[in-house]
Amino acid sequence: MPDWGRNTLELMVQELQHPVRLDESFDRRVMVRVRRIYAERRHRGIIGWLGAAASISRRPAWAAALAASVVAVVSLGIVRVVDRTPGAKPGQAIPIQFVLVAPDAHSVAVVGDFNNWGLNDTALVAENHNGVWSVSAPVHTGVHRYAFLVNGKQWVADPTAPRAADDDFGQPSSALVVEASTQ
Amino acid sequence: MRMRTARSLLAVLLVGSAFRSTEAQDPRLSNRLDAPTRKALSAIVDSARAQGIPVEPLMEKVYQGLAMGADGSRIVVAVRSLTFEMGNAHRVLGAVATTDELKAAASAVHAGVPAVELGKMKKQSGLRRSLTLPFTVLADIVSRGVPVAAATNAIKSLVGAGAKDKDISDFQRNVSVDIEKGAQPAAAAETRAKGAVVPPPKAENREHE
Repeated sequence: MPDWGRNTLELMVQELQHPVRLDESFDRRVMVRVRRIYAERRHRGIIGWLGAAASISRRPAWAAALAASVVAVVSLGIVRVVDRTPGAKPGQAIPIQFVLVAPDAHSVAVVGDFNNWGLNDTALVAENHNGVWSVSAPVHTGVHRYAFLVNGKQWVADPTAPRAADDDFGQPSSALVVEASTQ
Repeated sequence: MRMRTARSLLAVLLVGSAFRSTEAQDPRLSNRLDAPTRKALSAIVDSARAQGIPVEPLMEKVYQGLAMGADGSRIVVAVRSLTFEMGNAHRVLGAVATTDELKAAASAVHAGVPAVELGKMKKQSGLRRSLTLPFTVLADIVSRGVPVAAATNAIKSLVGAGAKDKDISDFQRNVSVDIEKGAQPAAAAETRAKGAVVPPPKAENREHE
């Protein structure tokens, strides 16, 4: 090694061996900063923690399993449902679209367990009067019986839904399952 | 037995009448049901609660009857029938069954499925798997004309194969379309059940790909 190179190396070693003098307030300033970050994270709570950017290193297999678990926990299994709301919890109401094609109808309402069978609670609307009646109504997770009431007098089952077998009152009705699933 | 009866009576006394408390909140019940009907319904609902049967589905049945213009005696018969069916389901499914599972199971029992078959399905599927949807679909396809044995076998095979709710929902839709197009109900259910769950490819097949 040439002399200039050896000298440079010795200078670097000396510099690195030289004790670093820190400001006397350094420790205090570091701890103040650490406490502030901790307090901010506590204030944000679990939602903030989940939303915070983080760097996580995992083996691909573990990452896939973790992602699948998260998807499984929040996924909803819904039978006759047009709308989905990822993240809905058991007991939470989510919007469900009800549709009935009835070109000759003057009025259509959906009546069922989810609105205590209130005849006038959930009316469907036929936009542009084209015979396609629809409404989006909040329905809690669970199994519900329901039917459409056409022109205030005719009960019609939902043709796109499973039938409710227990038509005790001589009128057809349908079954709707809105289920928060862990599958 | 005497102890059990005493506990049931105590439970009724402690919780009061579920029907009467709902009646106080909803004028539909007092305005549209006569006194004998209210008394009969109150007794059925209290008896159900004492047996550990959820009473919400019974109240929903009352509301359904009122909305559909049924008279009091018909509502009492329907609520009593539902209580009996939910009681059967409760006995075979056990305490782990949810209200929704019991409600769906009661529908299947009403359609003619023996409660014991539902209990077998619950044991087969494990405690964590909700059978609300499979029971609902079972009741549906029986009401569409699929014989009880064929319908039960189809749903059992789907649940046993690990079918998800979406698979079973698709199965119901396909069977109903097939029947509407003229297929024999049993054949439709049997055929669609075979194709509803596609087994994953075997490991050796993947190696050749």
